[in-house]
Amino acid sequence: MATAIDIRSVTKTYSRGGETLHVLDELDLEMAGGTFYALMGPSGSGKTTLLNLIGGLDHPDSGQILVGDTRLDQIEGSQLAQWRAENVGFVFQGFNLLPVLTARENVELPLLLAPLSRRQRRAQAERALELVGLADRMAHKPKELSGGQEQRVAIARAIASDPQVILADEPTGDLDRTTADAVLEALQRLNRELDKTILMVTHDPQAASYADETIHLDKGKLGRIEHNQTATAGN
Amino acid sequence: MPIRLLFRNMFSHPVRTILTSLSVMIAVFLLCVLDAANRGLDAAVANASRTRLWVQSAVSLFVNLPDSYEAKIATVPGVDDVLRFQWFGGVYQDPSNFFAQFAVDAAKWHASYPEVRFVDGSLSDWEAARTNCIIGQDLARQFNWKVGDRIPLIGTIFPRVDDSAWDFTVAGIYESNSTNVDQLTMYFHYDYLYESLDTGAVGGPLGVGVYLTRLAPDANRDNVIAGIEGFFENGPQRVRATTEAEFQRQFITMLGSVPTLLSSIGASVLFAIFFAVLNTMLMAARERTRDIGILKSLGFSNGRISMLLVTEAMMLCMIGGGIGVLFAVLCEAPLWSVLVAFIPGFQIENTVIVQGLLLAGGLGLAAGLLPAWRVRRLDPVTALRSEG
Repeated sequence: MATAIDIRSVTKTYSRGGETLHVLDELDLEMAGGTFYALMGPSGSGKTTLLNLIGGLDHPDSGQILVGDTRLDQIEGSQLAQWRAENVGFVFQGFNLLPVLTARENVELPLLLAPLSRRQRRAQAERALELVGLADRMAHKPKELSGGQEQRVAIARAIASDPQVILADEPTGDLDRTTADAVLEALQRLNRELDKTILMVTHDPQAASYADETIHLDKGKLGRIEHNQTATAGN
Repeated sequence: MPIRLLFRNMFSHPVRTILTSLSVMIAVFLLCVLDAANRGLDAAVANASRTRLWVQSAVSLFVNLPDSYEAKIATVPGVDDVLRFQWFGGVYQDPSNFFAQFAVDAAKWHASYPEVRFVDGSLSDWEAARTNCIIGQDLARQFNWKVGDRIPLIGTIFPRVDDSAWDFTVAGIYESNSTNVDQLTMYFHYDYLYESLDTGAVGGPLGVGVYLTRLAPDANRDNVIAGIEGFFENGPQRVRATTEAEFQRQFITMLGSVPTLLSSIGASVLFAIFFAVLNTMLMAARERTRDIGILKSLGFSNGRISMLLVTEAMMLCMIGGGIGVLFAVLCEAPLWSVLVAFIPGFQIENTVIVQGLLLAGGLGLAAGLLPAWRVRRLDPVTALRSEG
């Protein structure tokens, strides 16, 4: 399988209260396309930072980040924004839906950046919502949905523009077990049926069991990588 | 541009949006009205006749000139005709029913005012009787007067010794095609006033308030002014001759610095409202920090997100400004009826409307720029972590 994400010698530090924190330290990592990865590690190990770097939301201090054929460490501003719009979908722990918009309108948002007619946008958003099982909740605003439904809307939004990479940051962190399983199944389906590359940050080993591989980070360095033989056991 | 998001955001705090729009509405309404008032004052000067000069006492407008000056002014080269004008200051029923009345030389009046035409009655009707008068059609409309109606006026400057009212009969109603000549004035025979004073039936000062001097077609205005002033250089009473524009400007100056004050009030209100709108937009941007982070994560560029905020601010102001302009247009007639005695040219012109809308849009643009600039500097990761 082709390499989708290639990280070479990436370093990221933050200054906090006069102290320099080495969040990622000369990290090297390769991820294959069409694979569902879980990213685990203790708090402060750099999981979310790595996710943000791969998603083009943040810049490394040094090193190379290649996603597809784009060097993210070499682009910025509106070019990086456009890359995000076309290549990556985010799913956050807190769902991060816009409260003033309905489920369908939230899903349509990234499509506003694509050269689509209103009708095409609407149809594509509805397809994405159907895919996550929310065809009957399209006109509902986030506050009218349960946590699990909100997260599924967020997943629909992440896939609406058909990006190759989906980045999920603790997507089940705010959900009960049953709802979490439904969300994880949805992500797994996206990986298996649509061949999406998924990188999911999680603390939950059960959530990680849905992934094909689990990458462990510790103090900004790569730990072990586990191939999950029972990835299908979750569903 | 996610238009739906823009509208939903705008009305996510309806009370705040309505109050902000209301403040813009009031500011734009005030600006339109104040600007219309200023333009009205300017219009009287701008539309002033170039063929009329006004001759008054060099001491003050309130000092009368001798009757004998009429014939003397007429001898100055370049003068075509001379009319006597005297402010009457009568009261119709109640002092609140104020309107201007002038005693004039009726036979010469119309020839000096080509911008005026009779819509009812005629000059000869007016000349037919000493107690006849003519009135502007706005004045006729205001008091529902028609030709043949009688107008009793209590003299204040020229009271009748028996305390009775002056009695005038409406012989004509005129209209004017220039803002320089209002339609709210009553003109009557100077001779009627003079004879009443002469017979002792009426008390009051003798003489003429001002002389209206009509220039000959080929006359050099400056030479005529110099000629008239020079004629009376050694008295018995020195005069000041001015163009009609200057004469009108004198009245505006008599209002003190009212035009400047009106402009200052408008600018101050606009300035204050700018900060109110700016505050609203800064609050809105701060509350939506996480939403902005979400949009950035979805691939919306800083430019697009900034544009959203600037457009929202502009729409907020344009809605308020639009209602303000509409309100000003709707209030034009009632305001005109109140102000016309002082500002006959008061009118909400299209330029005032366009200017009001442009100011509202400009206000929104200015108020949206600071929050937009802040959005550009906002790091998406920090924004996504925000609780706002």
